[in-house]
Amino acid sequence: MAAPETETHIATSEVRDNPVIRWGRALATLLLGAVVAFFVYTNATATNPDYPFKLGLDLAGGSQLIYEADVSEVDPLEVPELMNVLRDVIERRINVFGVSEPIVQVEQSSFVSDEVRHRLLVELPGVTDVGEAVAEIGRTPLLEFKLIDSKALMEQQLESSFNASASGTVKVAIKDDVASSSATSTATSGNPYLATRLTGRYLESAQLDFQRAQGGVPAQPIVLLNFNSEGGDLFEEITGENVGEQLAIFLDGEMISSPRINERISGGTAVISGGFDTDEARELAQNLNFGALPLPIELVSTQTIGASLGHEVLSQGIAAGLIGLALIVAFMVLWYRVSGVVAVVALSIYGVIMLALFLLIPVTLTAAGLAGFILSLGMAVDANVLVFERMKELYREGVRSREAAREGFSRAWSAIRDGNLTSLLSAIILFWFGTSLVKGFALVFGIGVLVSMLTAVLVTRTLLLALPETKAESGGWLSRLFHSGINKS
Amino acid sequence: MNIIGHKTLFLSITAIVVVISVAILVGLGLRLGIDFTGGSLTEVAYTEVPEQTEVQETINGLEIENLNDVSVRATAGTETVTGGYIVRTRDLNESERQMVTDALVSLGNGGEMVRFTTIGPVIGQELADKAVWAIGAIALIIVLYVAIAFSGVGYPVSSWVYGGITIVSLLHDVLVPTAAMALLGWFMGAEVDVLFVTAILAVLGYSVNDTIVVFDRVRENLKKFRTEQVTEHKDVTGVIQKETTYTLTKPFGEIVNDSVLQTFTRSINTSLTTLLALAALYTFGGSTTEIFALILMIGVLAGTYSSIFFANPLLVWYAERVNKLDTMTPVNEEGAATK
Repeated sequence: MAAPETETHIATSEVRDNPVIRWGRALATLLLGAVVAFFVYTNATATNPDYPFKLGLDLAGGSQLIYEADVSEVDPLEVPELMNVLRDVIERRINVFGVSEPIVQVEQSSFVSDEVRHRLLVELPGVTDVGEAVAEIGRTPLLEFKLIDSKALMEQQLESSFNASASGTVKVAIKDDVASSSATSTATSGNPYLATRLTGRYLESAQLDFQRAQGGVPAQPIVLLNFNSEGGDLFEEITGENVGEQLAIFLDGEMISSPRINERISGGTAVISGGFDTDEARELAQNLNFGALPLPIELVSTQTIGASLGHEVLSQGIAAGLIGLALIVAFMVLWYRVSGVVAVVALSIYGVIMLALFLLIPVTLTAAGLAGFILSLGMAVDANVLVFERMKELYREGVRSREAAREGFSRAWSAIRDGNLTSLLSAIILFWFGTSLVKGFALVFGIGVLVSMLTAVLVTRTLLLALPETKAESGGWLSRLFHSGINKS
Repeated sequence: MNIIGHKTLFLSITAIVVVISVAILVGLGLRLGIDFTGGSLTEVAYTEVPEQTEVQETINGLEIENLNDVSVRATAGTETVTGGYIVRTRDLNESERQMVTDALVSLGNGGEMVRFTTIGPVIGQELADKAVWAIGAIALIIVLYVAIAFSGVGYPVSSWVYGGITIVSLLHDVLVPTAAMALLGWFMGAEVDVLFVTAILAVLGYSVNDTIVVFDRVRENLKKFRTEQVTEHKDVTGVIQKETTYTLTKPFGEIVNDSVLQTFTRSINTSLTTLLALAALYTFGGSTTEIFALILMIGVLAGTYSSIFFANPLLVWYAERVNKLDTMTPVNEEGAATK
């Protein structure tokens, strides 16, 4: 070996073996762990913490509703934006309902299914009366504007009244009417209401107003509709092309008024008047404000978990986690002795870092997530075990303990890297594909894999290198502490 | 311990286990929960539990259409309630849900609705599709990763073989807990739900990790026990081609056996700590995650077994059969193989 290389080697090994640096690093690591632990402790015990633990519905109790939106009537390109509008509207409505921290999310069925479905996921923590919640959300004022084909309307009215008087039941008569009118007059196809593209999605706001009292007529309550610019243009176009026709306003498929178009209306404001008193008008305005849904929705799935069940799952999960941790600690210390103690410290730091990340990201904890965390505790030990086994081999061959630790790490690294990276890839795919429950598990599992790799490489290594040095053949109590297993040596 | 020497025995045992598992799966089938089939679950807890027949009759007596298939399962009591029932029906709409809940709560004493889930059939089918895709995608990614990570060890078997064997042992590790689930379903009425899928996916990750650790040691030892000779020759176009010839200084079978033994303690200890955590979850974690923990424990055991007694014997068996390699006798200079 050339002389200069030898010198550098000695120099670096002196720096590496400098006790001040080694102990300083170890102390800094422990201190950092303590700071993170303190952060978790204060947030977990405080009554009103800055970073509270977020509990999923299955732990906190509450309801989850999944709605599916009917997008068959709209341009596929507009769907994402409409879904966002839908989410905002539902969110506003729930906020009125007074639920703390509701979650409203747009979800899309993944590309693996034949048909793309657009869903809205609504989570209502603490709400166990799902009936009330569904009623509140399901109060779906779908606002539509339809032109009335007066000729078809007249025909229909005529026929249905004729049929109604001829046969006993009106129900049957209307059925007949649809068949007969479509058979006799193809021109009108029997539907007197022609859809315009104008719907509640273009509505910016609705407000209650009063028509000025004129002569002997008292003030009438009216509802003012303000469209956005796009809606305003559309309204202008429709009114301009259909002067003299009637424009029907439908709320949830029910016609609430059908004013005659007297002139082209520009400026994007429409008025609904007549047929309601002040209270009804106010309610209508409110409903329109909070609930002009841009798309019709249908409830496809609900889940409700009572608060007591959730609380039980949570306390049992915590108990299981603590007991599992205690068992692992006992095993590691008994088997790996001093290295085991180091592993336990590293594992504790792993635990508090995970909890701190749950608070900071924040990760919503669910039963599946909790199970993922407990599983990751077991797996977090793996990197340590890999290193300790390598270390032990070298130590038995007569390598000094610190050098064995250093070399053990570099030899175990490829296995740690490959094992953890594949686990991480699995977690990413799980997160990508999964439903919300699987996502919770995958997120905790993925973070767990990353953090366990970091703590093994940084915490375990730093602490092991800070330990006093010994050799296998020295035979003292210290040297025995670096062995493992149940045998005495 | 000579594991590779007894590879025929271990491969036979594994084959028998796989055949039995497949037979159980085909014979008994899995009980699919509402997560997959769609339907409703209503769970009610009581301080004074009514008779199961009474619950069944009450539900059957309700005026709900097509409510033919109703199953009622008793649940264990807790500190606050003495017990309760889980009633599974077809998917109920809002008013039907109200009827079922009201009828159940009014039975017995202190009736309380603790959980209600309804899942439309479309969502169930979508979940099943997703699960299949996720498992397939993970398998694909893993085989690619292993093949690339092991690309340096082309001799005596290609790196794709390591990837392939990882997948084969992964199938074994998933098959065994799935068969166990079929047994649980048959004898205890356990239903396959999202948590079960999660458990299987976790087994996937665990199993790969386990297999890779042993293969990593094989990779390292192969590099240690081989000599490399680079010969250069000009090909027809005059370009100099380098050809590397590897010679193993130790038989392949012995190298693999050493690798398995060197990682043996690690395999046992890691699965032991994971099992300890899972045993705690199974015993103290409550009924929600009970099946999850049990399935994972079986999966971890299967994964540890396969990484030691299946994946590596299979690797050597493949090298012998396909590469016509005599893996147990020392290789001399004449026996050198070329890459």
